[in-house]
Amino acid sequence: MITTLKRSLTLVITLLLMVVFPALCLSAGSHPDAGQTSHPKLSEQEKLTPCSQCHKDATPDIYQEWYNSVHGIANVKCFQCHGTYENLRVEPDETHCAACHNKQYLKRPKDKKCWACHPAHNFFVHK
Amino acid sequence: MGLSRREFLKRTAALTAASYVGMNLPIGLDGEAQAADADSWHPGTCRLCGSGCRLELGVKNGRAVALRGISKSRTNFGYLCMKGMLFYKLMGNNHPDRLKKPLYRAKKDQPFKEISWDEALDIAAKEFAKAVKTHGNDSVAYYGSGQALTEETYIFQKVMRGGLQTNNVEGNPRLCMASAVGGYITSFGADEPIGSYSNFERASCFFIIGSNTAEAHPVLFRRIMRRKMDHRDTVKVINADPRISPTSRIADLDLVFEPGTDLALLNAMAYVIVDEKLYDENFLNNYSVFRKGKEKKQVTFDEYKRFLADYTPEKAAQICKGNITPEKIRTAARWFATSEGTMSLWTMGINQRKRGVWANNLIHNLHILTGQLCKPGADSFSLTGQPNACGGVREGGGLCHILPAHRLVKKDKLRHQVEKLWNIPQGRIPPKPGYHTIAMFEAVNQGKIKAIWINCTSPAQSLPNCDKYRKGMARDDVFMVVTDIFPTKTTELANLILPTAFIFEKTGVYGCTERRSQLTRKAVNAPGEAKPEVWIVREWALRLSKKLNDPVIKKCVEPFMGKEPDYELPKAIWEEYTQKLTKGRDNDLRGATYEVLQKLPDGVQWPAPTKEFALKGGTDIKFVRGIDPLADEHAKNQMPYQFYGPAHPDHKLWIWLRPQKGPEEMPDSTYPFYLSTGRVIDHWHTSSMTGRIPELIRANPYAFVEINPKDAEKLGIKPGDMVEVSSRRGKNILPAKVYVGPCEGMVFVYWHDMKEERMINRVTKDAFDPGSKEPEFKICACQIRKVSGPKPLKPFIVELT
Repeated sequence: MITTLKRSLTLVITLLLMVVFPALCLSAGSHPDAGQTSHPKLSEQEKLTPCSQCHKDATPDIYQEWYNSVHGIANVKCFQCHGTYENLRVEPDETHCAACHNKQYLKRPKDKKCWACHPAHNFFVHK
Repeated sequence: MGLSRREFLKRTAALTAASYVGMNLPIGLDGEAQAADADSWHPGTCRLCGSGCRLELGVKNGRAVALRGISKSRTNFGYLCMKGMLFYKLMGNNHPDRLKKPLYRAKKDQPFKEISWDEALDIAAKEFAKAVKTHGNDSVAYYGSGQALTEETYIFQKVMRGGLQTNNVEGNPRLCMASAVGGYITSFGADEPIGSYSNFERASCFFIIGSNTAEAHPVLFRRIMRRKMDHRDTVKVINADPRISPTSRIADLDLVFEPGTDLALLNAMAYVIVDEKLYDENFLNNYSVFRKGKEKKQVTFDEYKRFLADYTPEKAAQICKGNITPEKIRTAARWFATSEGTMSLWTMGINQRKRGVWANNLIHNLHILTGQLCKPGADSFSLTGQPNACGGVREGGGLCHILPAHRLVKKDKLRHQVEKLWNIPQGRIPPKPGYHTIAMFEAVNQGKIKAIWINCTSPAQSLPNCDKYRKGMARDDVFMVVTDIFPTKTTELANLILPTAFIFEKTGVYGCTERRSQLTRKAVNAPGEAKPEVWIVREWALRLSKKLNDPVIKKCVEPFMGKEPDYELPKAIWEEYTQKLTKGRDNDLRGATYEVLQKLPDGVQWPAPTKEFALKGGTDIKFVRGIDPLADEHAKNQMPYQFYGPAHPDHKLWIWLRPQKGPEEMPDSTYPFYLSTGRVIDHWHTSSMTGRIPELIRANPYAFVEINPKDAEKLGIKPGDMVEVSSRRGKNILPAKVYVGPCEGMVFVYWHDMKEERMINRVTKDAFDPGSKEPEFKICACQIRKVSGPKPLKPFIVELT
């Protein structure tokens, strides 16, 4: 039942644009909720909804990428990399990767982010 | 991205837009320290499930700030699940709910008052002494936990048995692992798995039954997933369960059977293996015998074949229903028998059954028949739910019928061995086993137990049919001490609450699923006046000795006098247990000293009789000469495998003739559905820990009832509708998740929720296996009906009253 992992370069670039570009915009303070997050404000009740439940519809491509990745199959959830509402980061802190991938984190090229080689939400072993 | 808030929310599939009326989450994440801030890292073991993931705690200025996996560890290779990443948020002063002072009330309708440790220990000693003097030794009891450190379980049971002269020593592993213990002992002659996790990377066929491994053991599931993804065509995964779960995502074959028909399915697989001559004749001849009945009568292979005639795939498919067809059974049996290495995995779906031991036996039968044991990738491997159910409770003597190092209470010779090793008078430990868990809480109900100490667990929520047993715990003539780190449904019924240190706030050993013992040293201070249990028990025992004027009680803790509690005290207890009690036993741990355990990234697997052997990691596969030192020591011939388990004097593996038996309670016209319960990945057990971590409670804020879409349609139930789930014992009202998970005719409820209306053990049944005494949590009959449309819900965590 394993769905074949997608390997489209176009998709990877699109994904990176989707994730990194808004983050860069935010850091420039271009969003009314600027800070670490672009997330729309939610009520406390709405915050009790698992991330993937909304993002399945709100960002379907990212959801599908994740769902069919090793992270999706192994149930590694959004908040494990991106945090929850109060500490949400569109671009995760790399130390979050180190929680599981410390060996790789320590030996990575220091001038690159983890997802420069392991595309976000697909998590191929290497690009 | 780039959606407006309005657009974003319009797209959400939130169950309700009603306003939030719930609890205040103790979030306070602003300015939270990160892993990058840690100024030191301290190795230890995960506090949650039984996988035994090794991790490091990041500490900054004495405060826990992060957790990360240890890449060199053979349990997890550095991977952690979300619970393992986040439980540092419960340590030290990180969480406002931590219990920090002893709390007492004479009567259970009174509010608690803070008292000093001196007063608390005096009260605990006085009440236990009073019960012993007035009502006898068996009027007191200890109910412990597969989450307590081995040193803690060991010292508790030593004081109870050698000091207070009662075998009323039980623990929550009775609720989850007792049937696995019974299965291993009756099939292989010795408790605990033969092999190790290392088989994950060597197996060619995985037979997963009654286990949602993906959620209950996510880091182990990752290893299975990786094995499957790297060998898509050659590695087969069979997932047998009445419910499709996330584990099914890697399955080649899903066997969905009606609850309670597992024994028929397993016998039918054996039928195919025998009928198609897929068995390993040499292995059978050399290492096994066939047995049946209470009298363990040895029978012939021919009689076994005649027994299996009732379980042809055609007959079994009619019994099992679900999606089971004769061809699916044949396929599963062929894959199982013919793979180069087959590994079976199971947990509560098999163990929490009225015939859980039999179900375990029938899985083992398949391995014995096919010789899928002791070779690379081949194992009959029970996954354990708690971090120290194996090491602390099964090995440390934490159940009413066993003494440390797999000794049976009822065996005079073994009991007297323990008395001698403890340097207490012969005859001090009573020969009669104590109450098993359900009998213990029945005795509480009946007022036979007058004082009970509950450590590190919450039976008020975790016992089946819990309302029945909460009545007993609420009695004012039952004095109840609860040691824990947070308020729970059980502290609500206590007289005395003693705050304890959490993992990394104290030192001790956990023994995980694969016979592996791993040390965690203290790295941060416990909050307030919370104390390690080993200190609490020692000080309590000294007071008990005075109050009962019994010097033998003091003798039980004498070897531990004067030791500081953070390291020297647990080390002394571990040394006594390993060097004296495990010597010459099948779980020989003499090589696994604190010094050795600290030299290895991932601890030691027993048997490990010497330090030299332990420093190599211990025994990867039991019973194999050249790998297991005890196999060489006990060898009776030149055969490569030596099944020396203490329960089988013939040194054989036993294939059992066990017929299909359904559950205690079957659906009927009044209660037409099967109810089953289980876990979700974000929460663990009663959620007293995970429910207090914002990311985890938000990911799964409350329990749902999962209903098959076909059943939901018949009953007019839509996603999010509020549904009443009722049984002969009680009822819940839960939101519906309409989902192709449970098979038709079955509903499934998550059991972590503390909210009274959603606490599913008020509905489950307390029938138990006659052999293992493990309750049949997994199956009872219920009725479901829609109560209303979606309603706003709030997560609920017990607060101190």
